[in-house]
Amino acid sequence: MEDLLAYLHFVVLPQFIDALIIGVALALVALGLTMIFGLLDVINLAHGELYMLGGYAAFTLLGWGAGYWSALVLVPVLVGLVGWTLEELGIRPLLPRADRAIVTLLLTFGVSLIFRDVAQVIWGTETRSVAAPLTGITNFAEVFVPTYRIFVFSAGLLAIAVTWWLVYRTQIGAVLRATAVDPSMVASFGIPIRLVYGFTFLYGCGLAGLAGVLLSPIYAVFPTMGHDFLVMAFAVVIVGGMGSIIGAVVAAILLAQVQGLASLWIPPVWAETLVYGVMLLVLVIRPAGLFNRLGEA
Amino acid sequence: MLQAHQQVQATDIQRRQSGTVAARLLRASRNSSSNSRLLRQIALVSLLLAAIFPLFGGSFFTRLAIEALLFGCIALSVDILLGYAGLLSLGQAAYFGLAAYVAALMYLHVTQSFWLVLLTASASVGVFSFLLGAVAIRAKGVYFALITFSVAEILSKITHNTRAIGGSDGLIGIPVPSIPLLPGLEIEFANNYVFYYLVLGTVCLLYLGTRRMLNTAFGSVLRAIRDNSDRVPYLGYNPFWYKLLAYVMAAQIAAFGGLIYPLLRGFVAPHLFGFEVSTKAVVMSLVGGVGTLIGPLMGSVIITFLESVVGSYTERHLILLGIIFIVFVMFLPDGLCGLAQRTFGAGRKVKP
Repeated sequence: MEDLLAYLHFVVLPQFIDALIIGVALALVALGLTMIFGLLDVINLAHGELYMLGGYAAFTLLGWGAGYWSALVLVPVLVGLVGWTLEELGIRPLLPRADRAIVTLLLTFGVSLIFRDVAQVIWGTETRSVAAPLTGITNFAEVFVPTYRIFVFSAGLLAIAVTWWLVYRTQIGAVLRATAVDPSMVASFGIPIRLVYGFTFLYGCGLAGLAGVLLSPIYAVFPTMGHDFLVMAFAVVIVGGMGSIIGAVVAAILLAQVQGLASLWIPPVWAETLVYGVMLLVLVIRPAGLFNRLGEA
Repeated sequence: MLQAHQQVQATDIQRRQSGTVAARLLRASRNSSSNSRLLRQIALVSLLLAAIFPLFGGSFFTRLAIEALLFGCIALSVDILLGYAGLLSLGQAAYFGLAAYVAALMYLHVTQSFWLVLLTASASVGVFSFLLGAVAIRAKGVYFALITFSVAEILSKITHNTRAIGGSDGLIGIPVPSIPLLPGLEIEFANNYVFYYLVLGTVCLLYLGTRRMLNTAFGSVLRAIRDNSDRVPYLGYNPFWYKLLAYVMAAQIAAFGGLIYPLLRGFVAPHLFGFEVSTKAVVMSLVGGVGTLIGPLMGSVIITFLESVVGSYTERHLILLGIIFIVFVMFLPDGLCGLAQRTFGAGRKVKP
């Protein structure tokens, strides 16, 4: 009995806490994906590369002597602007097409290839590390967690809470939700839809950038980080339900736990495969995901 | 009595109607005959060019052309799905890779018989594509793209991390067998020209077979599903089975490319499953023209040669691929075949 408690305390609990932190960061990336899909029917395959861009931007800003905290504020704005430009120049001209779901997916795929290669040209192929601003270790009921990870967790939670508040408790959010249901109706009220779409991209990509900065001291920065993360974020969005905000958060934490805890007993590679197994299972049982789409509360 | 009579009449009308529906769909699809005549001419010219190519190409480029044809098989299978069933598969390389690995493992450990390997690879791809297709097709629209994408990624990761099948190094030193075609007649893969014409011939057959099949009522129903999936059930067709059949068929075509690949390069590696191969196949069919069948094969030749040339100058060829992607999506959505149609077929065609 005591052995079991010790096992839970010293083996399972640390893994649980680690997975919780990953889950929150994953939720940030998935939130942007799901919001963009909910409003525009666009699957942004460049989203992972925007996350990568966030990491590299932090690396560069810190290299220029900027403080971590100013990077934390600046990078999401920069990445958000990149996303907004992408929407303005690439996505918008394609929206009137009947097959826009497919053509925008192809377009963002092309953009992601370019971003990834450009990143390799600018920053090289080697892994770059970013120093964590908080170095201490916090004793958490006999479990030692790096203080920075606790900060990542709280900052991520805060960003999720702000997003929730923005979407469900503000005027802007009401417009967003209405646009998800019927954009032409919203337009007939005199609300400029192109600004709504622009804002969605700005905000969604900004969240990916934020996740990039937050995770860069933990996982370092490398050119394929976005691609690896995106596949996971897709699983999250599929399980949670495309276009569902609550679904993205719940599924992110759920899947991160599945992967984290499973890798205690099976090799990590197979834990990752298990995540996709869960995804396929959800698809078989509930093809549209666990939660409803944005606006269809 | 009367009721029964009415019932019989009703089903009779239904049957007749569904018959006419298929016929009407078929007629509608054949209305674009000037269109398909041009495509046929394009196909003929490309075949002629392909047939004389090895005379000028030299052995390096002949082998590159074989590779282009093999990757063209994936592009062709993407086109069947995207151009006819309206399904975007971002993981079509999964079947290429699966067939390549099955073939490689069979050659290395089990048998040297090409026909046995063909059978095994085809069967395993068939089973896998049936199961995955059944799951993926149930999920509508973009979900399909995401599921195929993720499953191909998983396969790539699994092979990458399983030491028993070579891990990240892949499998090397695959023996090249000869195919006993008839008693006394054997085909030697070691000879580049024999290899090239064999692959060219088979790809031609695959192309013709696919075209023939998609020109039947089956193809018409597929196109109807692509254009309006919700209405097709009212005509008495279940879109699911049609899509699934198209999916399994497309997987077999991609698998053919994978089956031959180890014989060409002598190795297989996890990247064959990877998203880069899948994506390239989509670019190829986009460049050639989605829904034209010949376009993707042309696109494959163009992209493969372009990559080989650019690749000798820089490692960063993804940028080029991305730019081609964006240019064709935004400005030439109907690809080179569409461009040819607008250039040579203009004036004669009335816009709908």
